[in-house]
Amino acid sequence: MSDAFALRYPRAEALARFLGLLAFALAVFAAVLLLFGKNPLRAYVDVFASTLGTAYGWSETIVKMIPLMLTALAVAIPGRIWLINVGGEGQLFIGALAATGAALYLAFLPGWLLPVVMAGAGALGGGLWAAASGFLHARGWVSETISTLLMNYVAVLLVSFVVFGPWKDPEGVNYPQTAEFVPAAILPTLGTTRIHLGLVFALAALVLWALVMRRTRWGLEVRAIGGNAEAARRTGIPIGRYVVVLMFIGGGLAGLAGMAEVSAIQGRLRPSLSPGYGYSGFLIAWMARGHPAGIVAASFGLAVITAGGDILQMTQAIPGSVVNILMAVMLFVVLGRQGARR
Amino acid sequence: MSRSLVAILSTIAVIAVAATGEPADPKLKVGVVHLGSVNDGGYNQAHADGIAVMKKNLPEVEVIQVENVAEGADAERVMENMIRQGARLIFAASFGYLEPALRVAQKYPDVKFVHPGGYKRLPNVTTYWASTPEAFYLMGMAAGKTTKTNKIGYVVALPISFFLANVNAFELGARAVNPKVETRVVFTGTFLDRGKEATAANALLDQGVDVLGVIVDSPITVVQVAEKRNAYAVGFHSLAAQKFAPKGWITGVAFTWGNLYTRFARQVMEGTFKSENILGSLKDDFLTLAPFGPAVPADAVGVVNTRKDEFAAGKAHPFQGPLRDNKGVERVKAGEAFPLTDLAKMDWLVEGVIGQPR
Amino acid sequence: MAALVRSLLSGAVLSGTPLLYATLAELISERAGVVNLGLEGVMLVGAVSGFIAAFHTGSASVAIVVAALAGGVFNMVFAYLVLARRANQLATGLALMFCGVGLSALMGVRYVGSQITGLPEHDPLVYGAVPLAGLIWWVLRSTRWGLTVRAVGENPVAAFAAGRDPHVLQYQALFVAGLLGGIAGAHLSLGVARTWSEWMTAGRGFIAVALVIFARWHPLRAVGGALLFGGAISLQLSMQARGVPISPFILDMLPYLLSLAVLAVGRGAHRHAAPGSLGRVFQGTP
Repeated sequence: MSDAFALRYPRAEALARFLGLLAFALAVFAAVLLLFGKNPLRAYVDVFASTLGTAYGWSETIVKMIPLMLTALAVAIPGRIWLINVGGEGQLFIGALAATGAALYLAFLPGWLLPVVMAGAGALGGGLWAAASGFLHARGWVSETISTLLMNYVAVLLVSFVVFGPWKDPEGVNYPQTAEFVPAAILPTLGTTRIHLGLVFALAALVLWALVMRRTRWGLEVRAIGGNAEAARRTGIPIGRYVVVLMFIGGGLAGLAGMAEVSAIQGRLRPSLSPGYGYSGFLIAWMARGHPAGIVAASFGLAVITAGGDILQMTQAIPGSVVNILMAVMLFVVLGRQGARR
Repeated sequence: MSRSLVAILSTIAVIAVAATGEPADPKLKVGVVHLGSVNDGGYNQAHADGIAVMKKNLPEVEVIQVENVAEGADAERVMENMIRQGARLIFAASFGYLEPALRVAQKYPDVKFVHPGGYKRLPNVTTYWASTPEAFYLMGMAAGKTTKTNKIGYVVALPISFFLANVNAFELGARAVNPKVETRVVFTGTFLDRGKEATAANALLDQGVDVLGVIVDSPITVVQVAEKRNAYAVGFHSLAAQKFAPKGWITGVAFTWGNLYTRFARQVMEGTFKSENILGSLKDDFLTLAPFGPAVPADAVGVVNTRKDEFAAGKAHPFQGPLRDNKGVERVKAGEAFPLTDLAKMDWLVEGVIGQPR
Repeated sequence: MAALVRSLLSGAVLSGTPLLYATLAELISERAGVVNLGLEGVMLVGAVSGFIAAFHTGSASVAIVVAALAGGVFNMVFAYLVLARRANQLATGLALMFCGVGLSALMGVRYVGSQITGLPEHDPLVYGAVPLAGLIWWVLRSTRWGLTVRAVGENPVAAFAAGRDPHVLQYQALFVAGLLGGIAGAHLSLGVARTWSEWMTAGRGFIAVALVIFARWHPLRAVGGALLFGGAISLQLSMQARGVPISPFILDMLPYLLSLAVLAVGRGAHRHAAPGSLGRVFQGTP
């Protein structure tokens, strides 16, 4: 690309470079497939045809994007002041747990109120779970990276505990799952697709976050802390409070993702609630460097890839988890590039 | 133009050119969804072997199989994608696929679904299972005759009623030939975690058990641990596990679904499919008792076969009362028997079994 | 009572051995200033490579060597990205995990139901684990290489000023970490389970990251930690085998909560124990 072009259209040049990196990643993955005797071209055609070639495919891609966007925000928001939140998975589980509690014990509430209460419970649960880590960091006791990571395990075990124990479905042959939610507790979906109200949560959160950061005084202070924490502290900004608040908001969004999954997709709480959405969200936030538009794009890409894994099994006899290689290579390529630019 | 732009465009061009045509339409397309791997020597392999038999019997059927599909949201998507690929009969081959299957079944009333172990149906959904307590009772008899320490251990995935029923029947069968036998049960909490299964098996052996039974998706791990520590092993799900324990193998029970699956496919092709709840047993052809291993004493074989005939003739029942659970509560009165059709309600362990059906 | 203790101990040792190797791997990496969240992926690559080698050669020793090398080479991908390209360590580590999961699944697809002889009754990896921890402790405190690695982990600029090339040392440390991670995976597939299935490490790589913190970056404390965590896994299964009604999930939570408590309470000690530059990568002047 000529320097003149790069200087005049920096955004286009950056985009072209980014796409070039992705093409490189696709080529590496193709080489891996070839090495194992599979046809990479057929594989790619199948993946794109099934995920983006039909209306159903698009709808399923969007369904997968919803929790990804929320968990990515859970990382990006505290990330604004350089907090590393690896606990999206645990916060998601706690949110699901809290929402399930509401669904099971407040099932008598009217249909318009119950989902609202569940969403509130989910956000509160996830938010408090993350805020605890924020508190430990603000006091200088434990790094949030470590505490959020450890709390992931505790959250998953807690869900297993209730599902195997006190909340186990009395009707269901002793299988580890809760009772089915009443219809009032299920989030509404769009037409015959599985796209649910969680999409509104995610998009609203993205837009709100972008606006707050740009237009409010509070957003200004957050950016100040992110720019130079020491200087911000000297101007009187209470950093500790921001740490806890931002972790709470991030965790709350992950908790909301958990509520949406358990209410709209699962219909009851099971240990197999999430295939690692929290960790994927972390990767998305890093790929997108925390920018809302980037989060949407990266979530889209990841959703396509993971949904494509099933098709590869069906038509190519490639084990589904192989798409993890493609995801990883794309990340390597993007992360390697990001780092070198610093 | 930049090198990266060229890279993108050429990649797109190559992909576009590589699109190939559609294959010719077979008589019936069948989709099979597996929780684990078809080579697991256990639950998933049994289903896959049944499908292979079906394919041999009906060469005009095309099969799409997907492995390692998590229960929940992904399962629904996989089933729907199979239907979009033209599948008209779906095997949702894991317990936890019931609700995803029911949701998809509601959306596609013309597609037929079969689900192993399910307890809810729709007009286009059939549930099926092989009632295994009789087989476990017989295996228990063989184990009761073979054990030297009178302690048996069972590594079980989850305290699902069907599995509890199996363990209960096993203990009752063992007791019938050896009143001193007791069975200890350990639940790993998941259908497949080889590390935990190995640890559980070792913990049981440390307790002095010398027979290990297993109810997880893949029996290989536990059977191997037993063989290594010179204990006896009782298999489940598939006959393939026997080769892992040439010395210590007692017997096993395998699901041989082939003929049943062939029947399903034929019904769909001929339009005679209707929703039913099929509960087979040893009498039918989808449950088979594995051959006895060298360690089983000769007199055991006769006893087992006699009881087997009694079951078939209806003269004996694995859960003949009076029966008490391991907390002392009476569960089945004298003169009655716990019906095999009600296994879904069995959430207790019988006296003589040490464990918690949490 | 003695039987119970013996059974628990042997269970803890068996479950704890892969954990210990993995923890030592992560410990070396972090002592050199690099956090590798993708240890799970390294373990899986080691586990499947070792399993395939055992299947084809029938030799456990060959299998262990193959597994170690596979882990070492795989970790070099991570090392390159994080050191030469200065990619973010945490994100790259997670990406490495995903890569390891997919790669091991692809490699192992034909070997799922296969049978191998595996490690012998007197498992060399189990016997070698504690001496290895002692060796690493000695290397880190008494050898030139070990001290330099720690210096790099504490303060890369000072190390650079003293004439050492931090990157070379970090590559070496990460290679060793990869070797150990591969061995950890191999013990799981060759010693504990003797089979292969996708993602059979089931999170043990992440537990190792927690264990390093729990052990406050000290190899000998890591032994205790691995026994504790391994013991927790085997304790709840043993309790079940004895008919004791404790919820296994609550028991499983304890090691993590304990780690957090230890860190929170010992906050001064924790500060001193962590390598100074953890999380940041050195970039020297050209």
